Amino acid sequence: MSVFSIQRVHSMCGIAGRILPGPGKVGEDLVKLMHAQRHRGADSTGFALYGEPLDTGYIVRAMVARRHELSQVLELFLDLLRAHGSDFLADPSWDDATTDHVSVRMMIREPNSLDDWIRQVDEHADRIEVQSVGRSLEIVKDLGGATEVAEKHRVHDFIGTHGLGHARMATESEVSPTASHPFWARPFADVAIVHNGQITDYFTWRARLERKGYRFMTGNDSELLAVWISDRMSQGETQNDALIRSLTEIDGVFTFLYSNLDRLGFAKDRWAIKPLVAVIGEQSLSIATEEQAVRTVHLDEVDVVNFDGPSLTRTWQTNVSLDRAA
Amino acid sequence: MNDHEVIVADRPLRECNRDIRDGIDRGLAVRVIDTRSRHNLGIGLPSGARIHFEGSVGYYCGGLNNGASIRVSRNAGWAAGEAMASGDITIDGYAGVSLGASMRGGTIHVKGDAGPRCGVAMKGGDIIVEGKIGYLSGFMAHAGRIIALGGADEACADSLWGGEVWVAGPIASLGVDSKTEEPADDEIQQIETLLATRGLDDASRAWQKIVSAQRLWHFESRDANAWLMI
Repeated sequence: MSVFSIQRVHSMCGIAGRILPGPGKVGEDLVKLMHAQRHRGADSTGFALYGEPLDTGYIVRAMVARRHELSQVLELFLDLLRAHGSDFLADPSWDDATTDHVSVRMMIREPNSLDDWIRQVDEHADRIEVQSVGRSLEIVKDLGGATEVAEKHRVHDFIGTHGLGHARMATESEVSPTASHPFWARPFADVAIVHNGQITDYFTWRARLERKGYRFMTGNDSELLAVWISDRMSQGETQNDALIRSLTEIDGVFTFLYSNLDRLGFAKDRWAIKPLVAVIGEQSLSIATEEQAVRTVHLDEVDVVNFDGPSLTRTWQTNVSLDRAA
Repeated sequence: MNDHEVIVADRPLRECNRDIRDGIDRGLAVRVIDTRSRHNLGIGLPSGARIHFEGSVGYYCGGLNNGASIRVSRNAGWAAGEAMASGDITIDGYAGVSLGASMRGGTIHVKGDAGPRCGVAMKGGDIIVEGKIGYLSGFMAHAGRIIALGGADEACADSLWGGEVWVAGPIASLGVDSKTEEPADDEIQQIETLLATRGLDDASRAWQKIVSAQRLWHFESRDANAWLMI
């Protein structure tokens, strides 16, 4: 179970994605995109940020539930790493805010099995919850609006190639960092999702995926989507094939953005209820729920593509250095 | 007479709309610039007002229009002209989802395409789209006309209660409870006359007129399967 209690989540939210032509201020752009959509959800804000990928090892983002337990929890975490053939590659760092929960960033050597290791770490999720693992991916999410969360976690300063953002309005569930977007698809490194909508056959799909061995840290349907797409891709489907399949196999109203190291894509359901617009460059992309958001990073007059129709998908190549990511 | 210029940029919306009103109250034509696709611009404007948005606008532009003449130079976001009672809105580019939703009167003219659910639940007035109308356009409309010169996407006029959808060009599919009907010559003449006032003369168009099949008028719950789309 996670740090906080779990309930089913439905939300009306704002989402965004950004691809830069190369490493740059992707954090700053995502903050702009989300600040412009803050009215779509002020409960919490989150970012999935892709920096230059590590040659070896993973970056882990985690939340420790109680600040006064931080040192003991990190010792426990280190023990679990070593039990799986891993270790810290550098000293962990964490936020110095006054909130009880603490956001921690760690660089680790690759465990013998990511799946086995994260499964054991998750047994301690009431004390430390891993929010992302990747060669490049770093998920930061917290309570409050885009500016507040970005300042606390220094998102403006983040240099990277691409990323996602989310502003959440929780309509039926608790408001907590755990229940915030983006979600990592455990145990798939470097996968993140942001979602605006509601999956109505959530429990059916959750049961199916759990029977296949997948685990979920929340009752949030967006976390399920991330695993659902990743599972299809693990069976050999391309990202776009998996997104297309989601249009007929997943029931509900949804628009979501799915990203991994080398591609960022979206799927939009057959009812065309949730908005999505984009400014598409040769090597760049700005995509968001609302047009006024993309215009905060494109102040000159630009052509905006409205993905207003039903049953749409598309993916874009990111500009991560694939030599290093391989 | 000089125009009254309003700059939107990142200013508070209430302030922008107040400036627009100031220009209208002084009897001036209003130019709105640096619009940045902001929402809720030019809402509930009165008869006689003339507004030109020189750029793209966000959601609900021209909503509750009460007689104003509004032009948007580029695209309009979702629900432009929602619930308008009278007046005229011209959008030079694309119009987003739910164009003219629940409108009761007046005319909306889109020079590009219109998104899904164009004219949803409209109760009167005319929507003219030079391009194509999107998925589920005319959904649950009660009255008024949608006139599309470039065809229609799937589920056109689904659950149409009243009103008419006129399409020149291909229709991907009709929605439930709608049907095509042979238009009378005088009806076609009315449509063409309306289009001619917009500079859209073309006597060669082949029109398809879509009306309600009226089964929904006599809906009974035991027939619910008839309404399933999928």
